[in-house]
Amino acid sequence: MKALMSLGALVGVLGLLLLGGMIFDVVPSNTVRLVEGYMPMQMLIEVGCYVAGFAGLSYMLSAMGMPMPRFWQGIGFWLFFMLYLKFRVYPPIPFSVRAMYGTVSMVAVFMWISASEEDWKKFKQPIMNVLDAQTGMNKMMRYLYLVLIPILVGGFSYNAMVPKSEEPVELRTVHPAPPASTKVHGKTYVLQTSQSPYRVNPEGKYDQEYSNANIVEQGMGRLMKPNANPWDDKNQGYLKYVKEGGEIFFQNCHFCHGDNLNGRGLHAFAFNPIPANFTDPGTIAQLQETFIFWRVSKGGIGLPNEGFPWASVMPPWEQHLTVDEIWKVILFEYWHTGYYPRTWD
Amino acid sequence: MGLVTRKNLFAIMGLCAMVGLLLLPIVMALPSPAIGEEAPAADAEKKEGDKVEKGRDVYYKTEGIVMGAPAPKTVDGPRDYPRYNFESRVLLWFANQQHLYYGSFVLAVPIFCMIIEFMGVVTKDKALAKRYDQLAYDFIKISLTAYSLTAVLGGILIFTFLTLYPAFFGYLSGIFRPVMHIYALMFVAESGTLYIYYYGWDKMKEGFLKWIHLSMSVVLNIIGTLLMFLANSWIGFMMSPAGVDEQGRFLGNIWHVIHTALWNPLNLHRILGNMAFGGGVVAAYAAYKFLASKTDEDRAHYDWMGYIAMALGVAFLIPLPFAGYWLMREVYAYRQQMGITLMGGLLAWLFIIQATMIGILFLSTNYYLWQAMGRMRGAEKYQRYIKYLVFLLACGYMVFITPHTMVMTPAELKAMGGQQHPVLGNYGVMSAKNGGINVIITTTVLSFVWYMRGNKVSTVSWAKFGNIFMGVFFACAYINIIGLAVYGYYIPANVRVGLSVPQVATTLSCLFFMFALNGVMMKGAKQMGPIEWGKISARSQYALIMLATAFTWMMGLMGYIRSSVRLFWHVNEIMRDNSPWAYTHTVGFAANMISFNVLFFWVSILFVFWLGSLAAKKAPVEAKAGVPGAVPQPAASH
Repeated sequence: MKALMSLGALVGVLGLLLLGGMIFDVVPSNTVRLVEGYMPMQMLIEVGCYVAGFAGLSYMLSAMGMPMPRFWQGIGFWLFFMLYLKFRVYPPIPFSVRAMYGTVSMVAVFMWISASEEDWKKFKQPIMNVLDAQTGMNKMMRYLYLVLIPILVGGFSYNAMVPKSEEPVELRTVHPAPPASTKVHGKTYVLQTSQSPYRVNPEGKYDQEYSNANIVEQGMGRLMKPNANPWDDKNQGYLKYVKEGGEIFFQNCHFCHGDNLNGRGLHAFAFNPIPANFTDPGTIAQLQETFIFWRVSKGGIGLPNEGFPWASVMPPWEQHLTVDEIWKVILFEYWHTGYYPRTWD
Repeated sequence: MGLVTRKNLFAIMGLCAMVGLLLLPIVMALPSPAIGEEAPAADAEKKEGDKVEKGRDVYYKTEGIVMGAPAPKTVDGPRDYPRYNFESRVLLWFANQQHLYYGSFVLAVPIFCMIIEFMGVVTKDKALAKRYDQLAYDFIKISLTAYSLTAVLGGILIFTFLTLYPAFFGYLSGIFRPVMHIYALMFVAESGTLYIYYYGWDKMKEGFLKWIHLSMSVVLNIIGTLLMFLANSWIGFMMSPAGVDEQGRFLGNIWHVIHTALWNPLNLHRILGNMAFGGGVVAAYAAYKFLASKTDEDRAHYDWMGYIAMALGVAFLIPLPFAGYWLMREVYAYRQQMGITLMGGLLAWLFIIQATMIGILFLSTNYYLWQAMGRMRGAEKYQRYIKYLVFLLACGYMVFITPHTMVMTPAELKAMGGQQHPVLGNYGVMSAKNGGINVIITTTVLSFVWYMRGNKVSTVSWAKFGNIFMGVFFACAYINIIGLAVYGYYIPANVRVGLSVPQVATTLSCLFFMFALNGVMMKGAKQMGPIEWGKISARSQYALIMLATAFTWMMGLMGYIRSSVRLFWHVNEIMRDNSPWAYTHTVGFAANMISFNVLFFWVSILFVFWLGSLAAKKAPVEAKAGVPGAVPQPAASH
């Protein structure tokens, strides 16, 4: 047990040193890389390791006769977590999300330190000592708080109220609800039931399972499946259409959406927000193929009321591409990202 | 003996009368389809040569004879939208919400009474049986005053509809005419049954009569549940109309109008929601009384009452997210754009607030249980592990509330390099959220298991093996839930939706198997000490109040979301809302309005509680007997 706790303590100390380095910019945030595709679990596991490390550290300090007061344990852990979010995770997390996480972690710390009466008393003790002010030091602290707290509150209020030149926060609806149907090149498409005419099996019938089996592999590398290379000239059917879609994509779309379809094309950073990242599981992977068809056809100006504040400069591609070309380019996007269009059956 | 027999006879007659009342509306409803389907056909035969207009059901796609007027095409003006110098929608919102709060409460509490009274009847310990009986009586007493207020609020709601939205209400009542009459009759039946049930409590206290009394509570709850189902059919019709053609003309089949695409999921969701809400309100009442108690005896009673109410509420809270999931699935199946507006579009941020509320409910429950372990000798052994439960809950909660569409300044957007954050963006989708909520619920189950074995040491010979098995079972459950959440990113969306089934099954397996195994292990267990009722911390009672407030807020929020998803339609795709208020409120306005409704409800229910306490002061001493913690008293006989 002691050996395990010692190991935990070592992990805790190393983690703290690393985080300290990141805070003071001695160590870059990506020293321990957040690996694409594994980032979400990596972050949770890292925080888990820190928790285990701190438990070990606390145990070791107690064993050495230098127990850390519960009050400082609680405050320290909360501060650690806030600093971790700010300095470890990259790209930077927006303040609104950090505020949410900060509140949750504060509640969690409260639940932990007040779970038992004994712990709660230990936690409250330093606060009660200052309020009671039985010693000179505590009396001084009490006066200090009396001055500092109103100044801090005033400072925060001033900061919140002072006019800023920064653009205001936008509550943007990234994927507004689509209409029931859309008219493209004179033909009406019902979004709930329409299908891509090019997502077909060798018999020429619509077959999503067949196309799913031929997309690139998920995960790192996004490798092509064996015998599923669209650039093979002998291809017919689905893979041939993927290739044609790819050609359309690289003639029209990649300038903004990027070679890797990750929204980082040549012109991407001229726009705010930058174009959609198709490799993100929150974009095309979440949507029906017909939704993409509607969005590509109608572009930014075709966004409905719900799409406030209509922050999209995508052209209405129906003015430049045929219906077949739009379906093919969508086919390519799903193939390249390794995602499947959403279906409801 | 003769007296008893006569009493029995009267009781049986009373029960039969209630069953008769219950069946009456159904009998009355029977001719309705006949009128709807056969009579016009007969008429049609008579008037041979007359052209019979037929329409196609917008949902069922069946053909039917047009039997009603089309949905009115309203225009903004005093004829269709008469108004005060105030937003009519807000007035209606207020009246509707208050009626729903009270309606939920008075429908839920009799179900609790039924369960608790049943526990009292079957338990062999007479003192405990009496305590259960007294608790059930206390519950129904609380709901009785609320019941009249529910009816009053229902009247206010109808008047508000009639005076501010006459065209819409006229259309709705034209379609639902027979249903509304049945509803009114069932309300009468509900009132009659409730009063007989309440006032007959002391008269039917023992033996066969007690079973009759218990049966009355079953009838009462069936009537109440049917009432709610009928009311749900109206909102189901407004969201996903059926039984009418494209112009909104009734096609003669009232069952189609009632049984819309969303009716059944709404019914299930509301039953569970009402129960959880009712439990929360009673728990908050008990918490308030606990905090105001002056004697140890009272504290012990209200501590116990709060615990029972919380346990019942949480028992229905646990399956609630799954029922909600089903409802959303049906919404998506009905109209994709409706689902996207709800969970990915305009109303998505309200869903994040909802997730926050759900998290608060589970966190409060866990916290209460940990505090409750403080009044058990022997439960200290679990205290040092609580921090790990906190960690699991906090991680699950943070994933659960991570928004898909983040609020950020343009500068932050630029720094992030796109709308989706590469780390947190993954938490914003359903696969991760399913994992998050299942981790939270499984941890709550674990807290319950610890609570149940807090002051006990198993004496079965296989105790060590049992403990290891339970530990491994929970560990495997967590691995399975998280593993499936991760796996969800690598498969198509329609398959991913199906992954929620094994995740839920894992959580429910923990709930049922671990509770059962724990029960077997703890049978005849060595007690480390009694549960010291009344010696729980004040913090725990604030957790109960928090639980109830979060329930109330969440109900208000979800009601608003459900209603708002129709956007500018009174009846989705059938009858357009042409009032000046056919727009979606800002999140801030909606939150303020919900908070106002919550505040009004709590202030008014405090008044109801106060009225209840006035009645208690006049009650005979006998009714107050049997508080937990006091010396057990044998059951009084008549």
